[in-house]
Amino acid sequence: MGDSLLQVRHLSKSFGSHEVLKDIDFTVDTGEVICIIGSSGSGKSTLLRCINFLEQPTKGEILYHGKNAETEWKRTLYHSKVGMVFQSFNLFSNHNVMENCVLGQMQVLKIKRAEAEKRAIQYLEKVGMAAYRKARPAQLSGGQKQRVAIARALCMEPEILLFDEPTSALDPEMVGEVLSVMQDLASGGMTMLIVTHEMSFARDVASRVLFMDGGVILEDSKPSDLFTAPKMPRTQEFLKRVLSRQL
Amino acid sequence: MDRFALLWADIVKLWTKYGASYLNGMGNTLVLALVGTVLGCLIGLICGVLNTIPYSRKDNVVKRFFLKLIRVVIRVYVEVFRGTPMVLQAVFFYYGLPYFTNNAVKFTSIWLVSIVVVSINTGAYMAESVRGGIISIDKGQTEGATAIGMTHWQSMVHVILPQAVRNIIPQIGNNFIINVKDTSVMFIIGFPEFFSAHRAAVGASYLYFPSATVEMVGYLTMTLISSFLLRWVERKMDGSSNYELVQEDQLTLTAGTYTHPDRGTPFDETSKEFEKGKGEN
Repeated sequence: MGDSLLQVRHLSKSFGSHEVLKDIDFTVDTGEVICIIGSSGSGKSTLLRCINFLEQPTKGEILYHGKNAETEWKRTLYHSKVGMVFQSFNLFSNHNVMENCVLGQMQVLKIKRAEAEKRAIQYLEKVGMAAYRKARPAQLSGGQKQRVAIARALCMEPEILLFDEPTSALDPEMVGEVLSVMQDLASGGMTMLIVTHEMSFARDVASRVLFMDGGVILEDSKPSDLFTAPKMPRTQEFLKRVLSRQL
Repeated sequence: MDRFALLWADIVKLWTKYGASYLNGMGNTLVLALVGTVLGCLIGLICGVLNTIPYSRKDNVVKRFFLKLIRVVIRVYVEVFRGTPMVLQAVFFYYGLPYFTNNAVKFTSIWLVSIVVVSINTGAYMAESVRGGIISIDKGQTEGATAIGMTHWQSMVHVILPQAVRNIIPQIGNNFIINVKDTSVMFIIGFPEFFSAHRAAVGASYLYFPSATVEMVGYLTMTLISSFLLRWVERKMDGSSNYELVQEDQLTLTAGTYTHPDRGTPFDETSKEFEKGKGEN
């Protein structure tokens, strides 16, 4: 288990009496690109939000580098190592693109402004947004916002990136630009955990696909296996419905 | 019409005799309203921020107790000072303290007591405005800050408060204008503001209505100028709405992206058919 980056052990989460996650168990190794698919309400987003403690898990533990993320890691350090990209971008609307990218570096990593800006430019170029460094989030399109959000997460130089439906709030013609950035990251070796409804992206880019239903991981296999020969009847039903629409 | 002529004559008479006292009163009113509003906003900001410190069941008992205590204290402060007239608050502060302490503790400066009363009163209103301003900011902003490792205070200072303060600027302006008018009750403890100038002038001249007209016009002038200035400040803060779009976004719908619509069709610049198609035209 030496190379496993993140281990989720017996994770459960309830909102009141409603149990959203039931005893989730899985491991993420360095360099893996894992897509989590499943219908709405199956607990995909909650799982991601529990992993970086935006929601407090009810039971279970998360091990990061083999150490308990809740008790043995300083929370802010853990957050800077485990980046997150949101469905609704969540860029700081009072700051421009550049400030969005340097704020975390300066506040959390205590990096000097000059160096932080250098790093920000580097990642903004990577997502093709360097020319927009003076723009405010309100002046950007959805796809551009999401790319800046990815750059902001990358500026913290995380070891793993969590994507919570990064393209679900975008116009269809903007989905491509975001997926293309994510594809670049994946081929660059970034460890990623992606909740998505983009089945073709999951099929092409993921190294593993998890199918979630009713708060449990029903299937966990290679995309080639899962998309061509799903084992569980529930997975087959889901894929039939989704793929008939998408492809 | 001759009534108006008479009124004008009376006003001129009043102004020649008491003009300096009116102007002095206006100056004092503006200074008191301004200082009271600024200090009141600070009080409101502190209360609003303390009021919104999050705590969960996992925090230790001492922290939870203190945070709850702070909320109760602020709640009592807001309810008491928002729920009683400022004129009585002035009386309580100015006459109440020496009454209870047998003259040992009292305000020696009429300016100080007035500023304290107006600030505390404004603070009670602003505390609620600031709290509203903070909770109106989208939860995603806090989550975005948390997700890159920022602490509660860092996200407050750099992300939430700047947005919340921008949103409550109209409220601050509101409070300033209310203070310009409502400081008129400070004559009760002898503060020399605009309305007390009216009382002095009337006491000597018996021109009650003409003096009231001077007051009306004077207050309206002060509030109108304040309104214009506040709007101007708001516009300045929002900055220019013009923004030159940089048209060098390499990823937006250019060939080679993940799902470029023309990819693999004869319209794709990289395909051989594209060149062929051009030749035909």
